[in-house]
Amino acid sequence: MSEVLTAPLVVEFPFTRSLGPVQGAFLTGLRERTVLGIRARDGRVVVPPVEYDPVTADELRDLVEVAPTGTVTTWAWNPSPRRGQPLTTPFAWVLVRLDGADTALLHALAAPAPEAVRTGMRVRIRWAVARTGAITDIACFEPADGAAAEYQVTSHSGEFADPVTGITAPARLDYAYAPGGAQSRYIQALAERKTVGERCPACRKVYVPPRGACPTCGVATDEQVEVGPRGTVTTFCIVNIKARNLDIEVPYVYAHIALDGADLALHARIGGIPYDQVRMGLRVEPVWTEGARFPDHYRPAGEPDADYDSYKELI
Amino acid sequence: MSNAATAKEPVAVVGVGQTKHVAARRDVSIAGLVREAAQRALADAELTWAEIDAVVIGKAPDFFEGVMMPELYLADALGAVGKPMLRVHTAGSVGGSTALVAANLVAARVHRTVLTLAFEKQSESNAMWGLSLPIPFQQPLLAGAGGFFAPHVRAYMRRTGAPDAIGSLVAYKDRRNALKNPYAHLHEHDLTLEKVQSSPMLWDPIRYSETCPSSDGACAMVLTDRAGAARAPRPPAWVHGGAMRSEPTLFAGKDFVSPQAGKDCAADVYRQAGITDPRRQIDAVEMYVPFSWYEPMWLENLGFAAEGEGWKLTESGATALDGDLPVNPSGGVLSTNPIGASGMLRFAEAALQVRGQAGEHQVDGARRALGHAYGGGAQFFSMWLVGAEAPVG
Repeated sequence: MSEVLTAPLVVEFPFTRSLGPVQGAFLTGLRERTVLGIRARDGRVVVPPVEYDPVTADELRDLVEVAPTGTVTTWAWNPSPRRGQPLTTPFAWVLVRLDGADTALLHALAAPAPEAVRTGMRVRIRWAVARTGAITDIACFEPADGAAAEYQVTSHSGEFADPVTGITAPARLDYAYAPGGAQSRYIQALAERKTVGERCPACRKVYVPPRGACPTCGVATDEQVEVGPRGTVTTFCIVNIKARNLDIEVPYVYAHIALDGADLALHARIGGIPYDQVRMGLRVEPVWTEGARFPDHYRPAGEPDADYDSYKELI
Repeated sequence: MSNAATAKEPVAVVGVGQTKHVAARRDVSIAGLVREAAQRALADAELTWAEIDAVVIGKAPDFFEGVMMPELYLADALGAVGKPMLRVHTAGSVGGSTALVAANLVAARVHRTVLTLAFEKQSESNAMWGLSLPIPFQQPLLAGAGGFFAPHVRAYMRRTGAPDAIGSLVAYKDRRNALKNPYAHLHEHDLTLEKVQSSPMLWDPIRYSETCPSSDGACAMVLTDRAGAARAPRPPAWVHGGAMRSEPTLFAGKDFVSPQAGKDCAADVYRQAGITDPRRQIDAVEMYVPFSWYEPMWLENLGFAAEGEGWKLTESGATALDGDLPVNPSGGVLSTNPIGASGMLRFAEAALQVRGQAGEHQVDGARRALGHAYGGGAQFFSMWLVGAEAPVG
């Protein structure tokens, strides 16, 4: 039994979001140290504001300003903050009903220990020093003195100079990636410059790269079969635009190649021949470079072209 | 037991709404975008939010915009609070399969009136990140989206002997049709066939003008039962057949040019609708053509032409707006592509045709129209056939 490979896989992307009128006013307000809620049809003040009424689905535009102080409605202690969370030391996740609001806002509460946190405690916003128009403009909540006073909300136009209309929401996912037994065997064989597929015990088709099971028959493939190294170009395209992240001069040929003995084509670049002379049926062989896991490209093998009938079922 | 008690409830499309599709809708949130389409569909049906029993929503992968399970956040905007809300996901075909799930809920008499909607905000999404993560140990992809499709187009040309110019005829036709559709994204008033044919070759044999744009947009429909249709202010489109089929993205023996799942899906829809000669019995087709050559390819796959003959239908002008089998009178995916919504737009445009509500791109006297969607590397197919008359039975 060969070793199953594993490797870290981190994917990150900074998504952009258009805010629309309500979220835009809310986040611009935070930048100006103003917390806006919205008046729902039933009279409740919803914070953060929503664009559409949660009961009637009506469009809501009646913004109001609420207080920067409020009451914790419930909480949970976070003993080990993770990357990207509001505070780097242990803190409480809290739902805070700001004075004047009828719903609670989720945020972090700076507190020394869980013993210092309770439902019903009074808190106030600690504003971030540098504010950009984001929920992180509220750095966190902190304990406050004094009982909840009757707070009269005031209506707000939602208009500010230099409004925030969009935000960037970075996403990051950390995985441990394991390609599985079949792919691991395939990759380990490539290290010896051999291409090894697997045969379905039911339909006898040879899969390259193997995925451990035949997608047609739904049974495990366990018989290894060395294929190639030569193969036939079944079809191709000429790529004329440079892909980001790819260091290949255009134009180049991206081809489907049926390696001898394989029952479906794999994809690779064709080199060693002018791009406009590549054709369906061209016989090719792999070209390896030192240290690379996969063949760098395939080049003409110097054989007569394959007859169309010999590969048309593989297109 | 009477047949009426056991037969499926007839399903009618009584409301259609879509946004004006553009490259970037920076003025609205995703909620604001879907709301626009939904409200237009409600207005068309002259219904209120309270008269909707359930909402069925679809979009492409969550990774596109990076909003996980967006249906949760969109419940308020779509009036779905306190009602069943379902999310459907079948890659590029999702708009079609979403409509079919909604139709089945009505047909099964689970709900009487269902709002169905699909969207994509491509300006805020990253399809590359969403679809092609740099997986360890795997060879990086060597070509963009077009690079996936172009080899299959070449295979089609080899198999059928189609002349090189066919793809440009499709692109020119669809972009001209789009000029008659106020909601279409691309309105290229100055386009000529020569310009299409001299546009840059991106992934030979696919030229720039033969590829779909990237759009922000949403599409919505209101589906209802026989009683709902009787109250509708405008003529309904009746669902005569609908089906979905899938097959693996890659398997030994897969025919990328004419996938078996597509043929099976069409055959199922035609059987339900009593179609024996699609070329003669169907008056308009909205098919999912993201790259121009897919028109002749799908004409064969869907049984409008014999194998190897699809390009002749295109070349003859039969698929033009004034031809005997107009294909993509709306301008199609080649003119408008908010990915998740693209399939539903095909279904909705087919409905508009048989309702006589397609405006300037109306096909005269259209009585039966086919809506078609596919996605996921020719893996998922969904289709429906709608008619101006209620189904018999």
